[in-house]
Amino acid sequence: MTPVVSTARIDGLRPASLVMDLARLGSMHASRLSFVRSLTRKMLTEHWQITRTRFDLDANGHGLAIYRLNTPTNRYHCVIFSRELPPEARSDRVIAEAWDLTFALVDGEVEDSLLAHMADNVPLQEAGRQHPRVLVLSRANKSLRNFSHFVTALADGRQPDPAWLTAVGYLYRTTAVYGNGKFGIADFARLKGNPDFNRPFAAEMCAVYMLRHFSIEQLNHLARARAPERAVSLDPDLQRYLGIGNSTGLGMAPFLINHPQLIQQWIYGRERALAYAQQQPASPPKRDQLLALLRRARVYLQQTVTEDAAQTARNQATVAAVVTIIDWLQQTPASGDLYRQLTAWALQHCPLEAQELIHSLLIELYPEFTDTLDDEFGYQESMDLKPDMKAEHLKALIEDKFGWALNYSEQDPADNYWFWYRSAEKEEPRLGIRHQEAGADKELPLAIGPRLCRCYHRLVAFLQNCPTAMVVEFLLAHPEQKSCVRRLQTMADTPYGEIRANLWHRDMKPMHLLRTKLSFFGAGRFDPKSERWVRITLFQGAPLVHELNDATLSVAELDDWSFPAEPVLQDNHPEPGHIRSIV
Amino acid sequence: MKVSLNELQGLARKAFGGIGFQEGDAMDAADMVAWMEAHGLNGIEALKKGLDFLLNEDASQPPAIIYQDADVCVVDAGKRTILGNASLAIELGYAKCRARGLSVTKIRHCHNRMLIVGYLSRIARRNMNVTAFWRNAHEPLTEILVSFKAGDTEPEICMYSLDAVPDETEANDGITLIMANHANLLANLNSDEPLNDLLLQTRDTMTSWYERSLSEGIDVDEALWERLKVLAIRTLVEASEDSRMGAGAGTSDND
Repeated sequence: MTPVVSTARIDGLRPASLVMDLARLGSMHASRLSFVRSLTRKMLTEHWQITRTRFDLDANGHGLAIYRLNTPTNRYHCVIFSRELPPEARSDRVIAEAWDLTFALVDGEVEDSLLAHMADNVPLQEAGRQHPRVLVLSRANKSLRNFSHFVTALADGRQPDPAWLTAVGYLYRTTAVYGNGKFGIADFARLKGNPDFNRPFAAEMCAVYMLRHFSIEQLNHLARARAPERAVSLDPDLQRYLGIGNSTGLGMAPFLINHPQLIQQWIYGRERALAYAQQQPASPPKRDQLLALLRRARVYLQQTVTEDAAQTARNQATVAAVVTIIDWLQQTPASGDLYRQLTAWALQHCPLEAQELIHSLLIELYPEFTDTLDDEFGYQESMDLKPDMKAEHLKALIEDKFGWALNYSEQDPADNYWFWYRSAEKEEPRLGIRHQEAGADKELPLAIGPRLCRCYHRLVAFLQNCPTAMVVEFLLAHPEQKSCVRRLQTMADTPYGEIRANLWHRDMKPMHLLRTKLSFFGAGRFDPKSERWVRITLFQGAPLVHELNDATLSVAELDDWSFPAEPVLQDNHPEPGHIRSIV
Repeated sequence: MKVSLNELQGLARKAFGGIGFQEGDAMDAADMVAWMEAHGLNGIEALKKGLDFLLNEDASQPPAIIYQDADVCVVDAGKRTILGNASLAIELGYAKCRARGLSVTKIRHCHNRMLIVGYLSRIARRNMNVTAFWRNAHEPLTEILVSFKAGDTEPEICMYSLDAVPDETEANDGITLIMANHANLLANLNSDEPLNDLLLQTRDTMTSWYERSLSEGIDVDEALWERLKVLAIRTLVEASEDSRMGAGAGTSDND
């Protein structure tokens, strides 16, 4: 396959049998290659300029705000509509119909006619017809507790307790961020030659970054409106510690399954960065840097709050493991293969989330290689048949490359427990129990493992009568297998891309799918609300808008914002009822 | 109304699924319609014309092979749309060409023939020279020639009318495909006699149209769009308390 940018080949990649295990994928953390990191790094190195061109908000923070983004080659605008949301309309589900904020990232200028069109349609979100110059469409709701507490504190002339942001790391939480042509907005193909947003989800992440900036400015505005004489602005350390939330559900799953070539590119990029790091001799300064990163991650995970008992246990297990990893590193001399020794040791002694944490941190150590991969996460997807392949060869291919799928049994109830479908409610993807719930006749073809297995058995039967046939002849006999064969012929050429799990199996954890994608986005503070629903935080710790052009700090310093610890504010006097007693 | 290319592909895919197309056929058919429309070749209009036929056809049946040898195949589409399953007939021709250097494929008894261009674009991208030829039987008799050079994603298309209408013993509702591994099959229109009413669609024109589709969106007939939505709904499961539980989320917004 041909990547968008020529790839750096590297030996020592981990086997797909290990990497593509769903539980392992669902244990990944954000890394230097995550999309929020690569975007802010690009903003920093290219000195993107962000200015406020309109800020017509009333004392309740309702109204219109527009921000201009100038990159070295293009101009964009982020247009934000803030409106009052009645309590009964407040929901973080995709099926909601009203929000505190609706906003859009626009290519080029916002003329009066475009603004009028956006004012009529952006607040409607899915129910509107959006303009083709809109690159990203989104909406967000307030964290009511944080918002109220923060405005009150600032209006009172003091800083809010940072622990509030540790518990819930944002003032606003998006419930959907739409790109790629949804509801009339611009197709991703339009950004193919665009140097600013041609990476996957770069425009979407940029819109979220702009929302974070707005949330800070709106907060300061509200505090000033409430107490013009006493109000103070949010402390810069708290501004940095402020992220944007996102709540998401099963909608993430179809993307992962329907874009295996893109997933292959993402995993391949991450694995190459890891393989490169593992091959480097560990100098004492690098080992010290790794230790420092581990200590920071330990604090971050210790501070992370979630009501989910299982995730809490995993966080605690990771924290405990990090302590032993630090011990191990301190006792093991820096050497040529220290990192390989470390990952091999961790494979035997640490839980999955701790193993994957080590990998994220190793990737962090070698930006000279890792950052060259930033532009290799896109892919021009196309699945093509190889109709002249011998059917016998196809059978061997399945056995060789997709053996993991052949354990599926039509008769085993556990193997066929779930089915995936889209609800008539905003086409939201959902899971149902087969033979118990209605809708299995309309299920989505997401369970690639069982499909491959069924295809294999039809192929075996076909070959008994037609041992020399070509693949196209098999398909003429079994046309329903076309998309499956096309997929397996395409994906057989790649090491990664197919998640090795039966998505129908009773023990399948949908949360693993969600976290796989979210970790590539750069999500932190995983806070599962059920097995199928999670809240996360993006951009917590990221450079602020004015820091994008701060000449007093290096890009390397500003880019070093992973796993942010709760800031300690000087001379701040939090109010009684400290957050620690609340959560 | 204006829609995006991705939106058109997505809704068409779901609508074809709602009609009863297999997953792979629904994807191919949607891509064919969207490709045609984005390149200025009236894919939506062709779909609109064929939709009523589609609703009454069994799209799951593959084309029947009437004859084949190493170089040639003749298939019967059974008076069904080219959207449904012609892709396998094309793939059969592709496979023969890969083996023999040149192949001829005749697809008999099909409609929506113009839409085949969208799939041939894929074949050309896979390094195959391909030319499609067919006649429209109505007056005046017209011939259509579509030629892709291997590696190109846009073809040259020419359509012209004929003065003399030959006697025909059966309806001309077939299409002929010639594929060549190594030889360029682009049409040479420098015939001795001028071609009547010649319409020439060049690669540059189609590329420009594609760029415009991306930047300005695609115009679609609202009535057709609504019709596609209704068909797409057939693939959705009606909401119920069970199904809302299946989303896994709560309904409160309590952070």
